Amino acid sequence: MTELRGLATHENLKRAFEAEAQTAHKYLYFAKIAEIEGYPDLSQLLHEMAEGGSCNAHGHLDFLRRVGDPQTDMPMGVTDSNLASAIAAEIREHNKIYPEMAEAARKEGFPDIASWFDTLAKLKQAHVERLHEAMEKVIYSSKEKDQ
Amino acid sequence: MSEHNSTRAAPDPIHVLHSYDASSITVLPGLEAVRKNPSMYIGSIGQEGLHHLVYEVVDNSIDESQAGFCSRIAITVGADGSCAIEDNGRGIPVGIHPEHGKPACEVVLTTLHSGGKFKKGSYQVSAGMHGVGISCVNALSEWLELEVWIDGIHYRQHYARGVPLSGVQVIGPTEKRGTLLRFLPDASIFQQARAFSYATLSKRLEELAYLHPGILITIEDQRTGRTQGFQYQSGIFGYVEHINRSRTVLHPRPIHILDSMDGVEIELAMQWTTAYADDVISFVNSINTIYGGTHVNGLKAALNRVINDYADQAGMIAAENGEKIAIFDILEGLTCVMSILMPNPQFEGQTKTRLSNRDLKKLVELVVGRHLAAAFKDDPRLAVQIVGRALEATRARQAARRAAETARFHSIDTRVTEEVYQKQFGIRSRNWHESATWITDKGLLGLHADLCKKAGNTRMLDVCCGSGVVGAAFKGRVGEMVGLDLTPQMIELAKERLDEVHQGTVYDLPYKDESFGLVVNREVLHLLPHPEKPVSEIYRVLEPGGQFIVGQIIPYGAMDAAWMFRIFKKKQPLFFNNFQEEDFRRLLQGAGFVNIQMKEYLLWESIDLWIDTHETTNLHRHEIRDLFYNAPAEARAVHPFEILPSGEIRDQWRWAVFSCFKPGEGFFQ
Repeated sequence: MTELRGLATHENLKRAFEAEAQTAHKYLYFAKIAEIEGYPDLSQLLHEMAEGGSCNAHGHLDFLRRVGDPQTDMPMGVTDSNLASAIAAEIREHNKIYPEMAEAARKEGFPDIASWFDTLAKLKQAHVERLHEAMEKVIYSSKEKDQ
Repeated sequence: MSEHNSTRAAPDPIHVLHSYDASSITVLPGLEAVRKNPSMYIGSIGQEGLHHLVYEVVDNSIDESQAGFCSRIAITVGADGSCAIEDNGRGIPVGIHPEHGKPACEVVLTTLHSGGKFKKGSYQVSAGMHGVGISCVNALSEWLELEVWIDGIHYRQHYARGVPLSGVQVIGPTEKRGTLLRFLPDASIFQQARAFSYATLSKRLEELAYLHPGILITIEDQRTGRTQGFQYQSGIFGYVEHINRSRTVLHPRPIHILDSMDGVEIELAMQWTTAYADDVISFVNSINTIYGGTHVNGLKAALNRVINDYADQAGMIAAENGEKIAIFDILEGLTCVMSILMPNPQFEGQTKTRLSNRDLKKLVELVVGRHLAAAFKDDPRLAVQIVGRALEATRARQAARRAAETARFHSIDTRVTEEVYQKQFGIRSRNWHESATWITDKGLLGLHADLCKKAGNTRMLDVCCGSGVVGAAFKGRVGEMVGLDLTPQMIELAKERLDEVHQGTVYDLPYKDESFGLVVNREVLHLLPHPEKPVSEIYRVLEPGGQFIVGQIIPYGAMDAAWMFRIFKKKQPLFFNNFQEEDFRRLLQGAGFVNIQMKEYLLWESIDLWIDTHETTNLHRHEIRDLFYNAPAEARAVHPFEILPSGEIRDQWRWAVFSCFKPGEGFFQ
C-alpha cells in the first residue's frame, strides 16, 4: 500500500477531521440554544447530527492513525502512544499556542479574549499534570502484567 | 408463607395481629437493590435524595387528599434527625393482603412498587414522584415506625433498614383516623447528605399547599422550635401573587388559565414584573419539573406566537421586514406557575424532572395560545403592556451589547469613557444590595477591616465605592473616610456611609500624589480592560508605607477557571480579567506593591439572585443555569455548588482579600 504520509489525501483527512470535529461541537452549541428557545425537535436533530459528526471524525482518525496524531505528528493508536501524544499537545498549547494567542488578543485590544486564552493556558498545565499521573499508572500496570 | 400463616391461626386482637419467626426476617430482594443502588431510586444520596424521602411520603398523603379523604398533613423534624409525616386520611389498610398473606401495610412498606396495587382505580393521577413508593423510604431508613388509626383501632409496627421487627401491634381503641410514618434516614447510605433543611422542606410544602387548595400542611422543626402552617384557597393564582409580592408588577392581576383537553388538565397563572429574570415554575401531577420539558416548550411556543402576532398586527414591529421579538425578551420578568394533571407522564434525565411526552407541547401551545390571545383581545391595555415590555427588553439587550462593544473599542487606547461605565452601573443601585450576599456579608467586610494595619487617624479612600459599604467597614479604624465613584446615583448612596464622596474615574484619580494612608476596593478590577492603570493610580495616591486592601472573587484553580470565565462573562459583559491568585499578585507587584498577603473567605451565593440584573441578558441567564446543570467534571471536582430540588442554584464563591503596601517609612512588616 502507498505510504499516506505527506500526500494530498493525508492533508485532506486532517482537514476533514477538523471540519467534522468542528461541526459536531458547533451543533451541540446550537442544540443548547435551540432548547432554551423552546425548539426541542430541532435541538434533538442537532444532537443527533453532532453524534453523527463525532462518528465521522472518528472515521477520519481511523485512517490518520496509520500516520500519526494530526496535531503532534506523533504515533497514536494504542494507549501508551496516545497518552504521550496527548501530553505533547497539551504542553504545546500550554506554553506556546495559548500564550501567543493571548498576546495577539491583547495587542489587538481584546483584553477579555486575552484573559480567556490565559485561563486555558493554565488549564492545559493542569491537564498535563493529570495526564502524567495517568501515564504513570498505565506504565506501572503494564509492568505488573509483564511480570 | 405457610409457616407464616400458621402463626396467624389464633390472632389475639389486643396484642399481636401477626407474628414472625426468624426465617421470615430476611431482607427482601427488591429492597436490597434499593440499598445497593439508592441513587437509582431517589436520585442521589446527597441532600436532594435525603429530602426526597420526605416528599415520597408526603406525596402519598397528597394522593389521599386528592381522592377527598385527607385534609391535614403534619411534618415534624425530630431533634434526633428523624422526620415524621402524619395525615388524617383513611389510614393504610392493615388487613391481610390476599396475595401476600401479610398485612397490606407491610406489603406497601416492604415491596418495591407495591403502592400501585392499592391505588389502582382509586387515583386518576398520582403524585408519587418517581413512583418508587414508601418501601424505598423504609429500605433507606435506619429505623421506621408506622402508626395507623383505622376503624377505631390504633396500630403500630417497627422496621429497621426495611425489615419488620415485629408484627402489626394493636395499641388500643381510637377515635382518630390517619397514618403516621416516622423514620431516621440511614446515615451509612446518606454519607454525602447533611441534616434535613427546614428551608428546603418548607418551600416544597408551601408549593404543595398552593397546588392543592384547601389542604392544611404544617411543619414543625423540633431542633429549633420553628413551626409554620400552609393553607391556601387561591391555588396557583395565589402562588404567582405570592412570588411577586416583593416585585413591581406590570399588570395588577395575574392572567389565569384553566382548561382541559384530551384528558389533560392545564392550569396556569402568569404575571409580568419589572424584574429581569424569568421565573417559570412547572408541575406535572405535583412534581416540580425543574428542567422543564415538553409542557414548558409548549408554553414558550404559545407566548412567542401570540406576542409576535400581536406586535405585528398592532404595528409595534415590522414582521414583514423580519423583525421579531425573541423568546428571551418575552420571558424577561415573567412569573409563571403551570400545573399539569395527566395520566402516564413520562420523565427523562437522571433527575427525572423533565417531562418528555411529545404530544404535550402541541396541546399546551394550543390551550395557552387560545386563552392568551383571547385575554389580549378582551383587554388591549394589558396586551400593550406585555408586548411593550418585551420590546423594551429587546432594546435593552441591544444596548447592553453595544456598551460592551464600545468598552472594547475604547480599550484600544487604554481609555474607557465614563459614559460606558455609567450606562453599565448607573442603574445598578436599584436592586444591587439584594443581588448578592457578599455585598453586605459582615464576615467578608470584617476580613477587609481586620487586615488594616494603619493608625487610627489614617485618611482612607474607597475607590469605586459603590454604595460605600466596604469603606464603611473601616469605621473606627481610620480617620477621614473618602469615597470615589462614577455616577451621581452611587455617590448619593455612598454619602450616607462615608464622610465625603467625589465623582471621578479610577483611570485618573482626582487626587494629588500621596494623599491617602489606606486605599480600599472590592470586585472592580476584573471589570476594567487595563487594570494596571488604576492599580498604579492607587499606588500614586498612597503615601509611602500606605496600605492597599482589595477583595476579588477568584477561581479555586485552573480546573474551574475556564468554566467560571464563561459564567462570569455571561453575567457581566464588562468582565475583562479572569484573575487567578498568581495573576492578581503579579498585578500588584507590577505596580510596585510589596508584602502582598492573601486571605481567603468562602461564601455561598444564590446564582438566581445574582443573575437577576439588567447586566445579564435572558439568554445568558439560561446559559448560566445550563453551565451549572452540566458543569464539566473537572470544575465540579474543585468548585462546590449545589442545585436545590426547586432548581435554584447555590454557588460557593472563593473570595481573596489581598493586603499590600507601598514601600516607605511606616511600612508595616
